[in-house]
Amino acid sequence: MDGGSRLGAGLARRPAALAFPHTRRAPATLRGRRARVGYAFLAPAAAVVASVTLGPILYAVFLSLSQVRLTGEGFATTWAGLANYAILYRAPEFWQALAFTAGYTGATVLVEVALGLVVALVLNGLVRGRGLAMAVLLLPWSLITVVSAEVWSYLDNGAYGLIDYVLVVLHVTSQPVNWLGEPTLALVAVGLADVWKTTPFVALILLAGLQMIRRDLYEAATLDGAGPWKSFWRVTFPLLRPSLLVAVLFRVLQSFGLFDLPFVLTSGGPGTTTQSLALLAYRAMFNDLEFGPGTAVSVVTVAAVVLVAVLFIRGLGVRLGEAGDGAA
Amino acid sequence: MVRRRGGATLLARAATALAAAAILVFVLFPFYWLLATSFASPTSIGQWPPALWPHPPTWVNYRQAFDDYGFAVYIRNSFVVSTAATVATVSLGALAGYGLARTPVRGRSATLVGALAISSFPAIAVISPLYLVMHVLGWLNSYQALIVPYTAFNLPFTLWITYSYFRQVPLEVEESALVDGASPVRVLLTVVAPLATPGLFTAGIFTFVACWTEFLMALSFDTENSMRTIPVGIALFGSQYVVPYGTIFAASAVVVVPVALLVLAFQRWVVSGLTAGAVKS
Repeated sequence: MDGGSRLGAGLARRPAALAFPHTRRAPATLRGRRARVGYAFLAPAAAVVASVTLGPILYAVFLSLSQVRLTGEGFATTWAGLANYAILYRAPEFWQALAFTAGYTGATVLVEVALGLVVALVLNGLVRGRGLAMAVLLLPWSLITVVSAEVWSYLDNGAYGLIDYVLVVLHVTSQPVNWLGEPTLALVAVGLADVWKTTPFVALILLAGLQMIRRDLYEAATLDGAGPWKSFWRVTFPLLRPSLLVAVLFRVLQSFGLFDLPFVLTSGGPGTTTQSLALLAYRAMFNDLEFGPGTAVSVVTVAAVVLVAVLFIRGLGVRLGEAGDGAA
Repeated sequence: MVRRRGGATLLARAATALAAAAILVFVLFPFYWLLATSFASPTSIGQWPPALWPHPPTWVNYRQAFDDYGFAVYIRNSFVVSTAATVATVSLGALAGYGLARTPVRGRSATLVGALAISSFPAIAVISPLYLVMHVLGWLNSYQALIVPYTAFNLPFTLWITYSYFRQVPLEVEESALVDGASPVRVLLTVVAPLATPGLFTAGIFTFVACWTEFLMALSFDTENSMRTIPVGIALFGSQYVVPYGTIFAASAVVVVPVALLVLAFQRWVVSGLTAGAVKS
């Protein structure tokens, strides 16, 4: 279109060897001027991110070390040292939320990556219709989590849910099961909704990785007498490792912030079985107006996320440049 | 291509196709169930055995969502907030992405890595500080209470996307315009941005979907009924004892279907954005 003709005109007028101002060959003054333009272009975004993301996170650390009281027009803080953390240390609810969030993350990410790999392998083997399948995989990702939680709560309903109906028809159970009323079953129900919504996302990342693997490597493996099983472990798995690590890292970080699903599906229940760290923090702040301890919970959540990310990058050698995938 | 050998391959192909079909059914079924329930009459919801399709289908849930629950207000709020945040994010993000991709600024990779780190922080981290500051500023229950944080949270990813697209625009195009004396902003707007349209669009779709689906901040900062966004409105539908599934799903269908169509229409770009970086190992 328009861009194409401009491109043509540009190429025709300038010999390719003429260097762009910012390359090494350009005079220093031009370079300096271009750099100033660059900083000016970066400044607005940097200011917004610094004042709405980075600044508040640091401020949250301060708040977690304070006693916070809401007043009519504002709020007042008094230094409290580690008092809020001491409250958490003594609260079984906090330890339960931490254990739930970590355990839930481990279990669901394991299932999602295993299933996502299977889905990716199946779609990669499709002769036709792969584009359509990939389009369908995008749908759960684009769905409002609150809506998917409502759909699953309807499917899980203990009196008239479809899942119970299927189980009864198949004679797995003799009568409807109260999925959201039993601790273990509620965990399974939240996990199932999570697996449904995020496995397709994992599968898309892995599928992109699979499509990067060169065909001739498989042919070479076959010539060496490797069957499908062997060529999976010798070719596919090692070459897919970066994509797998990116998918795992991304899902783990996202899962530590788990909030929408238990808020709608179980309200953290039964009891506090499915209460995530984020849900606990939210409730402390907005139900009990305990901003100090609530912020302390959110700081612990961030610390856990940072710890996991560092362990991953150090321990498993994920290169950060690879992880530019969907932040949504 | 070489012709494949015999029946085993054919069988494998059929098995693959069958497995793919099963996966798609599993993925699509909740969508079907949402739509089917949205057209079911209120009395048939909650019956045993559950009806697999609505008979006869009815619009009564849709009418209820809009007339009794005032769902249109939530749509308006979500639309205003998501659109404004998307425009702000893509504008600021493209400016920054261009600066990073095409000018000799220091700390390029540090900025990119930092952006990535920031985008992985959970939203709960900023809820209490932002809530308290907004309380002081009188920003609670306003559009900017969401537009500003949504912009900040989506900027890192948009920067990442626009950066990688701008890097692919041939230098010569830009250079000729600069030599002709055009200002950097003009070059970006009239020469570079048109060539990187897919990147800007990808970033825009991602940001819009992220804002459209965001729940925690909307729930915390805009609590008044007249300011609620769609996810908050849907989550707080009904009372503690009665969950009006028909109404919830009718309202959901109205907002889910257009976004699903948008995503399907721009599928190629969305997939490329989703997997950007994940593949360039």
